[in-house]
Amino acid sequence: MNTALAGVVAYLALGVLGFLFRPRWLSSALAILAGAVSLALWAPGFSEMTLGPSSWGIAVVGDELARGFWALALFLHVAVAWHERARLGAFQPLLTLLTGTALAAVISIDLFNLYVAMELAALLSFLLISYEAKTKAVWATLQYLLLAAVGMILYLLGVGLVYGKLGTLSLSQIRALAPGLSDPTVAIGVGLLVAGASVKSGLFLFGLWLPPAHGYAPTGVSAVLSGLVVKLGVVALARLAVAFPLGDVLLALGVVTGFGGIIYALWERDLKVFLAFSTVSQLGYILIGFGIGGGAAQGAILYAVAHGLFKALLFLAAGQAIEEASERHIAKLKGKLAWPSALGLAVGTWAIVGLPPLAGFAGKETLSLAVPAPVGWILTALSFGTAAAFAKLLPLFWPGQGRGKIGGLALLACGVIGLGLLGVVSLPGLVSLTAWGKALLVAAMGYLFYFVFRRFQPALPRPSLDRAITTALVSSLGLIAGFLFTR
Amino acid sequence: MEGLSAFVLAIILVGLGLWTLIERRNVIWKLLGLNVASGGAILFLVAVAYRPQARPALLGLGPGPTADPLPQALVLTAIVIHFATLALALAYVIFLTEHRHTQDIHKLEREEE
Repeated sequence: MNTALAGVVAYLALGVLGFLFRPRWLSSALAILAGAVSLALWAPGFSEMTLGPSSWGIAVVGDELARGFWALALFLHVAVAWHERARLGAFQPLLTLLTGTALAAVISIDLFNLYVAMELAALLSFLLISYEAKTKAVWATLQYLLLAAVGMILYLLGVGLVYGKLGTLSLSQIRALAPGLSDPTVAIGVGLLVAGASVKSGLFLFGLWLPPAHGYAPTGVSAVLSGLVVKLGVVALARLAVAFPLGDVLLALGVVTGFGGIIYALWERDLKVFLAFSTVSQLGYILIGFGIGGGAAQGAILYAVAHGLFKALLFLAAGQAIEEASERHIAKLKGKLAWPSALGLAVGTWAIVGLPPLAGFAGKETLSLAVPAPVGWILTALSFGTAAAFAKLLPLFWPGQGRGKIGGLALLACGVIGLGLLGVVSLPGLVSLTAWGKALLVAAMGYLFYFVFRRFQPALPRPSLDRAITTALVSSLGLIAGFLFTR
Repeated sequence: MEGLSAFVLAIILVGLGLWTLIERRNVIWKLLGLNVASGGAILFLVAVAYRPQARPALLGLGPGPTADPLPQALVLTAIVIHFATLALALAYVIFLTEHRHTQDIHKLEREEE
């Protein structure tokens, strides 16, 4: 059996065993160990292999994408499990199972395994978001569940159409057939697949479940969801782009998601919901990278890993700040943070606005060096928006009283700084005066924009559940119509 | 033609289910709509397996063409996943009914703000 698959099986089995045997931390620790050993063994990568008949067996691949996400998933699991080590009950086993599912999702390269992995990740996310059994979180989960189920119905219909026409589920076999999108059945099928994965990954207009679900989840859960789980849908989209010509579609989705998320983040006042909107916009970055492909796809992988680290740091720090101050409102949190959460927010913000030499800078700069000039301007505009949105966290960086909990914050902060330094030293073109100057200028402009326009508070429409479902379906129909008419 | 009619029925079920999901205010109705829509998607996969003059894909039924077994295997997985999702959703509805004393989404949304 393939080493990566063995790692996944061990992870999931240990997750299940964690429900049955105590101490519960032992199974998590063993699972992380198994995952790390497996990653170390297959790290040089392996080309695609299929277990079972080639047209429908389980196809897995160990490429750069899988490697980056495995490292991210294992690191996040360590940090969050350590941070939430006081939680008893089913929390740790569920976290282990969720991480294991993510490991399975990112090595899968056939349509149905991606479906199963995404569904399993969603089910485990539901359980974890509603883990504390607070009414707000349960309501947010139910909204997420309904929208995710709609997304998966679309995806299943797409699987049916594509399989019915092409007779295989393996994405590399589909690529060998090179079907293109000229056949209307394939065009509708691919439209449904893309729409389903977009709903699942919380893209703007498709997945409006994301902000409440990530905003009201328990601290450590928000970190894993925003850092890792939403990106599984993006990975599915990137895998689909291997088999079908989807570059322009991903680029367009990325631009819409990036700006949509930023506009909502600019004026959101609830700290965790704000971070969730920022996650939406950062997914746009990653999608733009995958849409361009080539070197930009590598930049997108690096940025996805970097974003996973600093968004997890931000969510852990924010969740802890909210627990310490019993207050979610950004303006009212001022001066109520203990130093670890204040410092965590500061380092995370430093990274996400792309200031050198942290991980956000390495990811953003690698990405923008690999894209053509017009797209580069879009990325710069998104960075500017991110800086403007995060400017409102500035008053929170000065800590108040209290000792606070360090926990996984230190680990994630080290990860953000370490990856950043490693990236700046090892990647070409990152130690240049123009790059550093540009990053500083963009951040400064963003902060300036915030302080000039901070009195301006437009009332953005808040979609109700019905509106969110309708918007997702209408966007999906639009996407399918687009596929049909531009083929 | 039988294969085509199954496709049409599947599409109608998905449409009806999604319409109920959007239109009804009661969460239980929404879940019923979702269930009908998932049923439609599952029927769609079964219809993909259809081949003219075929018999069920079971061993021991003698020679001749069989229906495509792969979509049926997928359907089994999909049914399990939809069952788990629905059961979990109903558990959430019970929780919300106990704590908020309503199943009307407008009320659930309003008090939440």
